[in-house]
Amino acid sequence: MKELSLIALGKRVGQLLVSLFALLVVTFVIGRLLPTDPVGAIVGELADPATYAAMRERLGLDLPIYQQFWIYFTSLLRGDLGTAILTGNPVAQDLSQAFPATFELATLAVLISTLIGVPLGMLAAFFRDSWFDQFARVISLIGHSIPVFWFGIVGLVIFYAVLSWVGGPGRVDVYLEGLVEPRTGLLLVDSLLAGDMEVFWNAVHHIILPACILAYSAMAYITRMTRSFTLEQLNQDYVVAARAKGASDLRIVIGHLLPNIAVQLVTVLAISYGGLLEGAVVTEVVFSWPGIGQYMTNALMIGDMNAVLAATLIIGIIFMALNFLSDMAYLLLDPRTREVTA
Amino acid sequence: MKHFHSRMMAGAALAVMLASAPAVFAATPNDQLVIGTSLAQVLSLDPQQGTEVKTQEILANTYDRLISFDSKTNELQGQLAESWDVDDTGITFHLRDAQFASGNPVTANDVVFSLVRLFKLDQSAAAGLKTFGYNAETAESLITAVDEKTVRIDLTDDVVPEALLYRLSGGVGSVVDSVEVMKHVVNNDYGNEWLRTNTAGSGPFVLRRWSPNDIVMLEANPNFWGEPSTLKRVLFRHVPESQAARLMLERGDIDIANALTAADVRYFDGKEGFVIDQVKTGGFYALAMNAGHEPLDNPLVRQAIAYGIDYQGIGDAILGPYGRPRNVPVPEDWEGAIPNPDWSLQPEKARALLAEAGYPNGFSLTIKTIAQAPRVDMATAIQANLAEIGITARVIQGNGSDIVAAHRARDFDLLIPQTSAADPTALGALDNFTNNPDNSVEANNAGNFVWRSDWDIPELNTLRQEANRERDPATRLEMARQLQEDFIAASPAVFPMFERFEPIVVNARVEGYSGHPWSLTRVDAVTKTDAN
Repeated sequence: MKELSLIALGKRVGQLLVSLFALLVVTFVIGRLLPTDPVGAIVGELADPATYAAMRERLGLDLPIYQQFWIYFTSLLRGDLGTAILTGNPVAQDLSQAFPATFELATLAVLISTLIGVPLGMLAAFFRDSWFDQFARVISLIGHSIPVFWFGIVGLVIFYAVLSWVGGPGRVDVYLEGLVEPRTGLLLVDSLLAGDMEVFWNAVHHIILPACILAYSAMAYITRMTRSFTLEQLNQDYVVAARAKGASDLRIVIGHLLPNIAVQLVTVLAISYGGLLEGAVVTEVVFSWPGIGQYMTNALMIGDMNAVLAATLIIGIIFMALNFLSDMAYLLLDPRTREVTA
Repeated sequence: MKHFHSRMMAGAALAVMLASAPAVFAATPNDQLVIGTSLAQVLSLDPQQGTEVKTQEILANTYDRLISFDSKTNELQGQLAESWDVDDTGITFHLRDAQFASGNPVTANDVVFSLVRLFKLDQSAAAGLKTFGYNAETAESLITAVDEKTVRIDLTDDVVPEALLYRLSGGVGSVVDSVEVMKHVVNNDYGNEWLRTNTAGSGPFVLRRWSPNDIVMLEANPNFWGEPSTLKRVLFRHVPESQAARLMLERGDIDIANALTAADVRYFDGKEGFVIDQVKTGGFYALAMNAGHEPLDNPLVRQAIAYGIDYQGIGDAILGPYGRPRNVPVPEDWEGAIPNPDWSLQPEKARALLAEAGYPNGFSLTIKTIAQAPRVDMATAIQANLAEIGITARVIQGNGSDIVAAHRARDFDLLIPQTSAADPTALGALDNFTNNPDNSVEANNAGNFVWRSDWDIPELNTLRQEANRERDPATRLEMARQLQEDFIAASPAVFPMFERFEPIVVNARVEGYSGHPWSLTRVDAVTKTDAN
């Protein structure tokens, strides 16, 4: 049995690697077919053809595309992601700076959206077709249909410019920049580790609005899905039986319902989390957030394919890892699947 | 449900705690200047490489050049050069006593190293001086150290002292610390890899941190030769979204915003506590036509297009603080500029010209433009204007690199580039529009705007070269006037539509900030008063 599980695990890992390779190939080919001009970005618009050609050769762009891919791929296997045109730094170094900013924002957003979205969805199911259900539906619909960009600007006008409840764009007020040594890259954590509460509170004020706005868009999906999972369960015999036994609503929710919808919820949350990590692009632009989304957008604009490929790979790996972990959680949370796999 | 209620209460308490957390909102401190800008195109801080506009302000504050020019009067001033002597064959610069941030003394060798490095690296930054005959082969013999504090630059046959001085006053003329740079040379790269992300200058500030697309932090240079600045730090914060920058400026979180859209600049017009500094760059928003493509090879068709555009309407509705109509390639206020020709919107005349050219029913073409305000809006307006005279135009938008690549490859019908003056003189402004020594495909002179338009102009080019060699200022100015007249008469394939301004909105707390036409704005003399 144990051997069978190992084989299944090996198969999954194999599938992941093949998917990643396919992702790499597609991104590479699209990147090379785009009419962007990384050489022009480096040498400048007025450079003469000889300079231009020399830089093209230096970047290896004069080679056939399969050869360029092979060079990139073999470097990648050695752990070398190349150098970014955008910054002149090794891409790995850039990503190690940009990724924590996005990770911090997306993690907070998924926490907020879960803490609000799951109870909201369950209550909507409990009070199906009541005013509360309608209210939850409208709230979700707004979050789902209005662009994050618009929410970002309106949020800044109301909560930053008018009410002064939150900080403006950026991770921290500019004059507090560089005061805390980056250990994890997560500013909230680093400022706490350094014991610098001024930076911590300032960072909290800066992250709360973009996190809430990101959370709102994700919450819409989480609420709708939670509502539908709960409705499905409410008609089940075990809920009716629990009610007949006189169990309170809270007991039914915590003791019976949650464990039964947990499996599906984990999948929804994992998808939402992955979506937030790669979907923070617009929020990052509006809030001047120096994360991976903004990094990748700027890289794409100048055709900096080393940076684009590495960022795509990271996001791809995270997506796949989240899927993988949610499958694993599935096995843990649902005894029936464990039996079947075994 | 009791537990549920208590959790709700806990959540509410957290929200209140957040809202009442220690006050973190304060105006920017008086010893720090915060500039909200776009750092998206800042790819290199190597002064002999980085040509992007937003890079220049960082370079201007971290490096000295031999000379600079006043942002309002264009008058040349010494920077590292205390004085200079001009003779028939060259210019001799006498350096002041100064130190680099590293503590190394600034010597003539550093100046020679920096200027020769410009030609050895041979990138876009070198283009301006290369047209005067300075290049990787000639630089070492033409630029020499006479003694430790004296530099001599010999004139070539293609340059007059005034033009050379102005070009040396650009960011490319920044003097780097040769001792420091030599420590970081890898693969014969003249220290380029290192200087892209570090500074080694003698300017009033040094680079402390550059986090791409986030922040550039400068700190006062204790070894600076001039008056110490009251500013300890200068911060350039990346705020790509104009409305966010507007809110930050209003709230006092940034002191200066220099990447606002026209609408956001207008918001501050007359608003108490803010000043709009409308910097006249000397450059233009131009219309490039491909004279190698039929029917744009026909001068009558090009004239028709020139008469078919509503410059005034576009200027009022779209450009606003970003520019004003002008079809002559010398800015209206500059010495030697001729009056604008009457190229106002005249659809009847345009249609008649098209008919005369053999296109009474018009034709179709494309307009390529970078998808950025205000150029993309200009393209749409021109599309509508051309429709009035029977020309069907399709607008193709793209990002900077693909549109520039198409321009360089002569792969366009119409295209809207923006230009900068090579130096703040009439001849400097004319350079982008009258310079094309060899129009052949083989010449592949892709750095040149006129070549890109496949517009062969031997007469104009000869006159420009002669004017650039003329030593008598009055005669040179007269030749520049003649060049403008001839340009207009030639039905140009690439011509200016609007003078290009850079509106900068400054909080009134900031005193002494004066935007430079080439963005080489020094801020060491800037002071800030207390916030209200």
